[in-house]
Amino acid sequence: MTQRERRELIERIIDLCESVRSRGLDPFDVQVRELLDRLRELFPELKRLEDLYLDLRAVSGLADVVVHQSEWLKHRSSILYLDPLLVMLKMQVMEPAELADVFVRCWRPVVEMESITPSAIRMGLDYWTELPPLSERGLEIGVAETRTGRISEEELREMGIVSEEEFSRLMEEEWKRMLREVGREGISYWKWVCAKTFEETVRRSWILSFLISYGYVDVEVKPLEEEIVIRPREKPVQPGETRSLVIPVTYEEWRRHAGKGRGG
Amino acid sequence: MQEKDEVAEVRQKLAKAAQMLLFKHHREPGARRWELRRALGRNYEEIVKALDAELEKLGLTVKVVGEGDSESDRFVVTFREHPSLGDVRTFGWRIDDMSMLAMTLATIVARGGKVAGKEVQRILEEKFPKWRVESAIDRFIRMGYLQEDEKGVLYLGWRARAEVDEKALLSLLLGREKKEG
Repeated sequence: MTQRERRELIERIIDLCESVRSRGLDPFDVQVRELLDRLRELFPELKRLEDLYLDLRAVSGLADVVVHQSEWLKHRSSILYLDPLLVMLKMQVMEPAELADVFVRCWRPVVEMESITPSAIRMGLDYWTELPPLSERGLEIGVAETRTGRISEEELREMGIVSEEEFSRLMEEEWKRMLREVGREGISYWKWVCAKTFEETVRRSWILSFLISYGYVDVEVKPLEEEIVIRPREKPVQPGETRSLVIPVTYEEWRRHAGKGRGG
Repeated sequence: MQEKDEVAEVRQKLAKAAQMLLFKHHREPGARRWELRRALGRNYEEIVKALDAELEKLGLTVKVVGEGDSESDRFVVTFREHPSLGDVRTFGWRIDDMSMLAMTLATIVARGGKVAGKEVQRILEEKFPKWRVESAIDRFIRMGYLQEDEKGVLYLGWRARAEVDEKALLSLLLGREKKEG
C-alpha cells in the first residue's frame, strides 16, 4: 500500500466517525474492531508526523463511536426505544390531521403572559420627555425621509395584514393561475403585476416576490429590451446561487404601465 | 399576631412565585431554580408546591424542566391535561404546523435524541411545500421546540421537553391504525 493510499484510508475512517457524531449515522454501522485492526496494521508503516497525527485522530474518532454505541444501547434499553423505521412508516401513512391529533394528546402547553412593568413605563415617560418635537427634528420643511426595508411574512402576520393560512392560499392560487394563464412561455413582469389599482399592483408584486424566492417562478432580465420576463415552473426548484433583483413598484411606475397590464 | 404575619408573608411569596412563573421575563417564560431561591428564600420548594396546589384548581401545574445543572432548571406553568384539538385551533395553531411539529419531534425521539436538519426537511417536504417547511422549522427553533447546533443537527428544545410527553407521543403514533376507506 502506498503512502497516499494509507493516508486516504485513515481519512475515510475519520470521516466515517465524524458522520456518526454530526449526521446521526447509526454507530453500529461502524465496524470498530475491524477498523482498529486496519489501523494497527498500518501503524508500523507510518513515519511522517502528519500521518501519525491522522492516525491519532482516527483512533480518537473510533473511541468516540464506542461512546455513541454505549449511549445508543442505553436508549434502546430504555422504555422510550421504538424502532425508528417503524415510527417513520407509521407517520408516512398518517394524514396531517391525524398527526396533529396525536400531537395534541401528548401536549400540555406552557402558560405565559406578557405585561408592561412599572420600570418600562418609567423608561417610556423619560424617553417622551427627552424626545424633541418634530419641528426641532428637521421635518418641518416638508422633507420626509423614506427608508426602504424588508418585511417578512411573519411580521405581516403579526401585524394582522395576512394570516399564514391566507398567505399559503394566496401563493398557491397565484402560482396555479400563472401556470394556467401564462404557461412556460412566460410573461412580462409588469404585464403580470399591473392591475386597475395601485394597491392591487403592490399586492401582486408582493406575492410574486415570494413565488420567485421560493423557486416557483423563474425570472429572466433582458437588459437590451429593458424587460423582465417571469415564467412559472411546473415544480418549485431549490435556488442554487442566489442573487437579488430589485424592482421598485412606485406609483409613477404603475401609472406608466397602467393599461398595458392584464387588469382584473 | 406572629402567626398572622407568617401567613401574610407566605401569601406574598405565593403571589411573587405566580408572577415569576406565569409572566415572561426577557423572551422566555418561567424562572430558573436559582432565581426562585433568591426571590423566595430557602423554602422556595414549599412555596412552589403550594402554588401548584392553587393552580390545580385552574387545570394548571408547575413543571420543572432539566437544563444540565440543577441550578439552571426551569420552572414553568403548563396545562395539567392536554387541550382538545378544537381548542388548539383557537390558540392560533394550524393543523399543518402541528403535524409538522409532531413528525419532527417523533423523528428526533425515535432516533435517540438528534437528527440532521436536512433529513427532517426531506421528510416534511414529502407532504408540504419547501417554503412552508423551512418557515415552520425556523419558527419551531425560535419558539424553543427545537434546538439546532452549528452543524444543522436538530435536538429537542426546552419547550418540547416542558410541553410534550415523549413516551405518549410514540405510543400514540404506534397505537394508531390507518383508517380504512
